[in-house]
Amino acid sequence: MHKLLALLLAHVPSDFRILFRQFLLRVVDFDALSIQADVAGYLGQFAGVLMMFSLIHVPFILSVFGMAPWYVEHYLIATMMLVAGLIAVITWDAIFPDLRDVMVLSPLPIAPHTILLAKVTSSSALMGLAILALNFASSLMLSAFAGAMPGNHWGFLQALAAYWFTMAAASGFLYCSILTVQGFSALLLPRRIFLRLSAILQLAAFGIFLGVYFLEPSIETPAGLAAHHNQWLLACSPDFWFFALFNQLNGSLPSTLTWLAWRAWIGLGIVLSGSAASLILCYLRTMKKIVEEPDLVPGSGRIHWTPRFGNALQTALTLFSARSLWRSRQHRVAFAFFLAVVFAIALSWLRGELSGATRGSMPDGFILSTFIMMSVAVFALRSVFSLPISLTANWVLRTTQLSPSEKYIAVTRTILLCFSVVPVWLVSAFLSLAFRPWHQVTAHLAVLALLGWILAEINLIGFYKVPFTCSYLPGKSNIQFIFWGFVIFIITVALPAAEFELGSFNGPFRYVCMMVVLSGAAIWLWAFNRRRASAAILYFEELPTELITTLKLVSY
Amino acid sequence: MLELRNVSKRFAGIAAVDDVSFSVRPGEVAGYLGPNGSGKSTTMKMITGLIEMSEGEISFQGEPIQDDLMAYKRRMGYVPEEPYLYNHLSGIEYLTMVAQLRNLPERQSSACIDGLLQLFSLHDDRHLSISGYSKGMRQKVLIIAALMHNPELILLDEPFSGLDVASALVLRSLIQELAARGKVVLFSSHELDTVERVCSHVVILHRGKLVADDSIASLRSLMELPNLEAIFSQLAVEQDSDSMARQIADLIHA
Repeated sequence: MHKLLALLLAHVPSDFRILFRQFLLRVVDFDALSIQADVAGYLGQFAGVLMMFSLIHVPFILSVFGMAPWYVEHYLIATMMLVAGLIAVITWDAIFPDLRDVMVLSPLPIAPHTILLAKVTSSSALMGLAILALNFASSLMLSAFAGAMPGNHWGFLQALAAYWFTMAAASGFLYCSILTVQGFSALLLPRRIFLRLSAILQLAAFGIFLGVYFLEPSIETPAGLAAHHNQWLLACSPDFWFFALFNQLNGSLPSTLTWLAWRAWIGLGIVLSGSAASLILCYLRTMKKIVEEPDLVPGSGRIHWTPRFGNALQTALTLFSARSLWRSRQHRVAFAFFLAVVFAIALSWLRGELSGATRGSMPDGFILSTFIMMSVAVFALRSVFSLPISLTANWVLRTTQLSPSEKYIAVTRTILLCFSVVPVWLVSAFLSLAFRPWHQVTAHLAVLALLGWILAEINLIGFYKVPFTCSYLPGKSNIQFIFWGFVIFIITVALPAAEFELGSFNGPFRYVCMMVVLSGAAIWLWAFNRRRASAAILYFEELPTELITTLKLVSY
Repeated sequence: MLELRNVSKRFAGIAAVDDVSFSVRPGEVAGYLGPNGSGKSTTMKMITGLIEMSEGEISFQGEPIQDDLMAYKRRMGYVPEEPYLYNHLSGIEYLTMVAQLRNLPERQSSACIDGLLQLFSLHDDRHLSISGYSKGMRQKVLIIAALMHNPELILLDEPFSGLDVASALVLRSLIQELAARGKVVLFSSHELDTVERVCSHVVILHRGKLVADDSIASLRSLMELPNLEAIFSQLAVEQDSDSMARQIADLIHA
């Protein structure tokens, strides 16, 4: 990756080249990484996950395209837009100058347009990589099917060009929409208010992207698209505009839907000019404003209530974790991503419940959904705990460690249970109210509570650190491995477990056996972690596993 | 009494601190001096228990600190060289967290924090995020955090950094007042004038080795030099500062 970058950047001005490289890698917070972290490898792992998705899409296209071609086309475009939206949210603010840029770059003889160009190019490169990774296999497969039209010998190439153009345009549309909103907010609002609003906008955008993706009704049939009552949905949904754009470019769009494709062209034109104008104005006006106004989020009003969570140590660490999770952009977004998956599953059940479809006995699909929600929430919080917030400030925790490490680890367990297991359990309990009989609901909630406890204990094995305080070593937590491990877990464990639990509702002995096994596992894991924690030492620096074991004969 | 006996620290075989021994008695303010890279902050970090020494022993009130590090930390207050704080917390949240981590009684600690914030002129800004604090404000937060539990041993690594003149004068008097109340104070600084006014004795480090450990008056008469600056220049500065300045100017001009 480094060699490719060097080759591409060899013929551009050096100031632009240096800035581009800096901004490209700034998507990862270097302050949070271990000194031995491989950033390029870390980004490569994410690209790998997207490429695997692209490969998964191939059998999906093969099996479904013949029956529902428009469904497949719309699904691929909507997924690309979701990924683009998530990248826009994760790299929130990255394209606009911040205080660090202004203080470091302003005194240097670098023109603002060079900084702007470097930022735009680096963000575009990142987005381009994501588009390529997510579509490299699916583009070929879809074009082979969509371009197979009688009498059109160039059908495949036309479909391929239409596909790539549509994906780039759809991603650009979403990314530029975010930039336009951010840019004009930065221009029009005082910086302090903008900083506060920016955090809320970021979460709102996040919720909207995931909410639309998971909850949008499926209407990709000729009848569904032509139905009068669906016209408002088509008019308001950019994913359908770009679906129409693809078919227009491919020459397969019915004339009744041409207006949708035009919406895509107009929307693209508006957000491209809006984002360009806001960016240029920002670099001309906001850079001065940043220096004049402190980069400080104002205090949160006059009420300052500090709740207590057990003893002083528990209160200190719980409040520290809650504040880190809420106030740090990086942590908030990372956790919100997983929570959004949890709530998307919950919302889809709630939608069914509101329409009356889920009345009656508890289906295995619901049980599976709650298992997935619980697993995602616990693993997500554990992952977010591993991202530090301010490594240089950790000295204070080390100089004030007046209790044994096991007490700190016990607090970490409490935080994990309070912030992931309890909320998911409560949401599941609320959703369970739709089902009868009550003994099934109670029985399932008891199983879910034990599952949450077991998952929390599994995640605490070897986790001898205070949340948000240990440096992060991306290579150690292999994202590919975790992702596929999780998928396999869902398929091989959660699915049969849900069926087993459902079957146990009719056999008390079977249910009691299951509860005994689960309780035993939970207690054993708890005791195991407790025993190991008593001899553990808290650590604040993640180090790679040594490939060669040193004899440590030399004293360092 | 704080006592260092033959303390050394090596990083990858290179000695950052080499066979350093000195002691500081209760009621005494010891100035810890040395040029950049001489090993002052490394020594401070070893005394706080943040890093382990390669050789030697550090003891406080006769007990090696490693024997019961937690009990030792209860009695120690530390102001680090750099004002590194959790920027996402407000001043009061940070100080409350430190008080809780130190397991101080809530009522007593909140009254103490409130009073110290008032005295250090931070009370009006206590609910603002630390990310917006100036360097001086951060330094005041560090000083409050180091002192609020009434420690017996106070370690100050460049405590005047970023402080305004009025606050610096208060801190100077405070150090002397704390020593008068029987605290052990080890004070590292580059401000020789302040060290000369505040400290009863000085320890000078050069390239990791101890080059002086005596009272300032004794060093003055022994070396027949008028002030601490001259003593320090002779012991720890290798190059003539005027000639070095000329070389820098020449290099820039070229």
